[in-house]
Amino acid sequence: MYNTMKRPTSERLLEATRRTFLGSSSLGLGALALSLLSPAPAPAARPSDNPLAPKKPPRRPTAKRVIYLHMSGAPPHLDIFDYKPELQKRDGQNCPAEYLQGKRFAFTSGVPKLLGTRQPFRRCGHAGIWMSDAVQPLHAVADDVTVIRSMKTDEFNHAPAELLLFTGFARQGRPSFGAWTCYGLGSENDNLPGFVVLISNGVQPSGGQGCWGSGFLPSVFQGVQCRSKGEPVLYLSDPPGLDRDLRRLGLDALKDLNEWQHQELGHPETRTRIAQYELAFRMQLSANEVMDISREPQKILDAYGAKPGAGSFANNCLLARRLIERGVRFVQLFDWGWDFHGTNPKEDIRDGLTQKGTITTQAVAALIKDLKSRGLLQDTLVIWGGEFGRTPFREGRTAGGSILGRDHYPDCFSLLLAGGGIKAGYTHGETDELGFKVTQDEVHVHDLQATLLHCLGFDHTQLTFRFQGRDYRLTDVHGKVVSAILQ
Amino acid sequence: MVFARFFTKCWVVALCAGTLSPAVAQVPKTIDFNRDVRPILSNNCFQCHGPDEKTRKARLRLDTPEGAATAIVPGQPDASELIIRITASPDDASRMPPAKTGKTLGPRDVAILQQWVQQGAKYAPHWAYVPPKPPVIPTTQFRTVNPIDAFLWARLEQEGLKPQPEADRYTLARRVALDLTGLPPTLEEAEAFVTDTAADAYEKFVDRQLAKPAFGEHWARLWLDLARYADSAGYADDPLRTIWKYRDYVIESFNANKPFDQFTIEQLAGDLLPQPTIEQLVATAFHRNTMTNSEGGTSDEEFRNVAVVDRVNTTFTVWMGTSIGCAQCHTHKYDPITQKEYFEVFAFFNNTADADRPDESPTLPFWSLRDFLRKMALEQQIAALEAELKGKKPEELKPQRDRLATLKKELAALKPATSVPIMKELVGPQRRKTRIQFRGNFLDLGDEVREGVPAVFHPFPEGMPKNRLGFARWLISRENPLTARVIANRFWEQIFGTGIVRTSEEFGIQGELPSHPELLDWLALDFQRDWNVKRFLKQLVMSAAYRQSAAVTAAQYERDPDNRLLARGPRVRLTAEMIRDQALFAAGLLSPKMLGPSVRPFQPSLGVSAAFGGSIDWKMSDGEDRYRRGIYTQWRRSNPYPSMSTFDAPNRDTCVVRRNRTNTPLQALVLMNDPVYVEAAQALAQKARTSTSTPDEAVVMIFRRCLIRPPSPEEQKRLVQLFTDARAAFQKAPAQAQQFAGNQPTSRDPATDAALTLVASVVLNLDEMVMKR
Repeated sequence: MYNTMKRPTSERLLEATRRTFLGSSSLGLGALALSLLSPAPAPAARPSDNPLAPKKPPRRPTAKRVIYLHMSGAPPHLDIFDYKPELQKRDGQNCPAEYLQGKRFAFTSGVPKLLGTRQPFRRCGHAGIWMSDAVQPLHAVADDVTVIRSMKTDEFNHAPAELLLFTGFARQGRPSFGAWTCYGLGSENDNLPGFVVLISNGVQPSGGQGCWGSGFLPSVFQGVQCRSKGEPVLYLSDPPGLDRDLRRLGLDALKDLNEWQHQELGHPETRTRIAQYELAFRMQLSANEVMDISREPQKILDAYGAKPGAGSFANNCLLARRLIERGVRFVQLFDWGWDFHGTNPKEDIRDGLTQKGTITTQAVAALIKDLKSRGLLQDTLVIWGGEFGRTPFREGRTAGGSILGRDHYPDCFSLLLAGGGIKAGYTHGETDELGFKVTQDEVHVHDLQATLLHCLGFDHTQLTFRFQGRDYRLTDVHGKVVSAILQ
Repeated sequence: MVFARFFTKCWVVALCAGTLSPAVAQVPKTIDFNRDVRPILSNNCFQCHGPDEKTRKARLRLDTPEGAATAIVPGQPDASELIIRITASPDDASRMPPAKTGKTLGPRDVAILQQWVQQGAKYAPHWAYVPPKPPVIPTTQFRTVNPIDAFLWARLEQEGLKPQPEADRYTLARRVALDLTGLPPTLEEAEAFVTDTAADAYEKFVDRQLAKPAFGEHWARLWLDLARYADSAGYADDPLRTIWKYRDYVIESFNANKPFDQFTIEQLAGDLLPQPTIEQLVATAFHRNTMTNSEGGTSDEEFRNVAVVDRVNTTFTVWMGTSIGCAQCHTHKYDPITQKEYFEVFAFFNNTADADRPDESPTLPFWSLRDFLRKMALEQQIAALEAELKGKKPEELKPQRDRLATLKKELAALKPATSVPIMKELVGPQRRKTRIQFRGNFLDLGDEVREGVPAVFHPFPEGMPKNRLGFARWLISRENPLTARVIANRFWEQIFGTGIVRTSEEFGIQGELPSHPELLDWLALDFQRDWNVKRFLKQLVMSAAYRQSAAVTAAQYERDPDNRLLARGPRVRLTAEMIRDQALFAAGLLSPKMLGPSVRPFQPSLGVSAAFGGSIDWKMSDGEDRYRRGIYTQWRRSNPYPSMSTFDAPNRDTCVVRRNRTNTPLQALVLMNDPVYVEAAQALAQKARTSTSTPDEAVVMIFRRCLIRPPSPEEQKRLVQLFTDARAAFQKAPAQAQQFAGNQPTSRDPATDAALTLVASVVLNLDEMVMKR
């Protein structure tokens, strides 16, 4: 006789998700299995099977929530953070063969020409972090941030690189960073999703919904795409003609009939469904409230560059703050328009970048300052960057034209981090004088993931989920914590 | 890790709560290697002491008796290094597993290993790799319909449980119709069954469901999840892909009750059959559902390799229930599959003509008869003209030349009505060599390998060609211990809610053990007998176990929350497609139109585009195409139909064996507010208004169209009260009423219409609506 009762946490969790997503007060195995994620005594609150109930991580976290600002397409880091005077000196020269051997590039073949930045660079803040004028608004927050100049990835096409960054694996099918975070920590707000995604400039990232998917984790952990224009969450609004009182009238009848169903058949999932309808009813109010920025003071709107009703990145930054203030665990923003190949003037590393960089980083800087003034920066991780870097040479297809652009480059890129236990006013890592290779303190994207999970209180090798017989994790089988960037 | 810890705590809990069977807490008297020992070793030891020699520590492997000989003295736990190490004190550096692995053995694990060594440390092959043997059908005191019941009831008796009585006929009618066709029965059909006094009334009802074309539309869904079927190519720009002929092939195959062995061969190797039919070629689109990357700057060869890897992994998941993917980069940590063996399987799939091209070639075109005749005629005329012009100077025969140009233009403008990507085997010098790819990198190559199957499985059939056709025959050969079990288990999972092997995607060493191993073997052998899908499914739904009432007491529920023992009837949430189809069906809106190009029902505007691609919003289809079954909804990978994805429909980037069945507030929002469901409620209200004369009649009609059974007096009264209250409120706001009722042109009493719409919406949102009952 085989024992059927014994099974891994992951299976229990799936059950818990559908049986008692919320509100059950019975102490089931599911609750225990979940609390195993935190060996520390469970919080004093009533035991719950809700997979999104807040959970303590195994160790003391420095960050409780995350705002990830992703610039889809990959910003040209050599024109933003990684200052290379030598590359400027050798501008226009043939790229040395040693850097091309055995390499594949997306749009470049043959021998390209080196391309020095046209952006003025300066040292910013007391820390003297190098930043270009393309991101001039960031200069004012230099002493609040860490810039990593030694990032590395394995992928040089957008979709695989974004998937690697957000799911730890370059192909579809794995849970995203936000989903892992909610799986590990739950959410602090019962009336809003735990993981919210906001997209600006009207285009999804190349990695698609996989960048905020739940993979094989239960789908309650997947990111919910909210919109800053129109209905904030799909199907949130009651149908035309049905007001709140009538909705309540209908829900009361629904509840009675469902209760009787429960009495007759005895399935706890029915009780869960009753609770879900009540939550949905509350969410209709709270989601509309949180997504309405029109009541923010004008000076806040101005600081971000936000305008009520616009679908802009600035609006989304402000929404990110409003969401995490209300206990949302993970907010992920995607901004389109960073693929600086030089195929049109907007993709020129001179004026095109200055325009894009200024308008974007105004909102980023405002967000960092706003979080700081509200005492939220200290336990909120903010990350700004792309999925890979860009080449120190001109992109092959556009090399003959007048617009200056760079190709995709996986071996080096830069990333900005702030808050949540990350050092303030610090530069980490170096690349060589032309910017082809990391020469000091390489940080692979798996190391970044390990470090961010560390800030959230997890050992990245221990936050696992069993699927197809294997314990999977965000960092796949890699990753080491970069303690140098931690406070 | 979490897994390991769960085991130990689970044991503690079991002792406190006293709800689980005693077997959990006690160490069994006789140790069974597969049941008791392998899970402990596999979860805690194999990563360093398993099949992968690259990561093996201390040259010790515990997955074979030979490998473990240095660490185990059979019969002498105290002399065995294995036992000494696992019982060493926690601060002893020699203790296993090492603290840094985060793995710990609980007291029960240790006791089991000790007793195992005491009893001689006997190994046994993994259960799923041993061919099923005809089991003895047990006897039972409870009434059985077929051997399925005998196996289940015998286990219930052991557990001191007993089955539930049969569910009432309305419940049964809805349950079995939903399970077999994805739709509820019509009221008339259900009524006829309820009043049928014949002894075989239920069987006749089942046969009617199996014969409906809706059967294939429902069961295709499961297969399309496995086949990762979608109407787009995936990756960044996710362009639309024309491959719906394959979807239709699957629907028609289920409806024709195509034997599963034939279904297998056609999909994996239809093109290699002698003189393949069009249907057999279309079937090979199964493996053309892999994604194509047309993002600028991507290497076609790289993503062709990715597609081949997907084909290998999908094939093993679908037919063998074994995740072989790990072995792409390194020898498998748990199952004895080497990296070389992985690429030997890879070689079977590495010689098709497709190569990650944006045009998806090779494809099979389908012409309308008129265009086809025209095309033939044009080709003939062109050939004749070209022959006439051969050897002539460019300035000669001007009229003929002009005519030729015109004909060529016309030919180029002729396009097939549709097409489908297919598999086409390369021949001669075009054939690719397969080499091991180190760490799964297609540029980092090792030795050349030839087609072959892993040694752990049954041997490749003698005299069979070493190509996809031979490989497909290997899968369905009688010697294969896995395929029949895996498929039988998957069908079981659809009908009963949970597989006999719960991890229906994983039968390998890291998978869970079957709850009823003898039953699974019996089912596998029975299915393998004729691979007859409809007969097999009929057997499942004919069983007394399936027909039980789903009612359960709190104590019974706690005892077996997942209903693994089937001491009650199955009651699980419907799939995304079923929920939508059912609402449209109840409202009388569902179109019966079958097959053909995918359709675009109403979808809210998202206002975003795919990266480098077009808008993911769509133009709604016209007329009845808005109300087709969910299986025909255009499946865009970057944006699966939002209301269905809320009910756990996957995006189908990769093969999905088991869908989740979550229960979330976003689902409540869909059923309350998605215009599709609002429209269904309005249509139900209209039907009730025009064909009934009292609120009670109207309520009963709405209720029965949705749930088949009549409402209880209590339910009826409550809904009538809702109607009365809502009508009073709507009477004070006639404009609102008109809007909510859907601006019915013939309406004389908008408040009544609106109140009935609210009643219908409440019924459509009932827990019972989204669940089997």
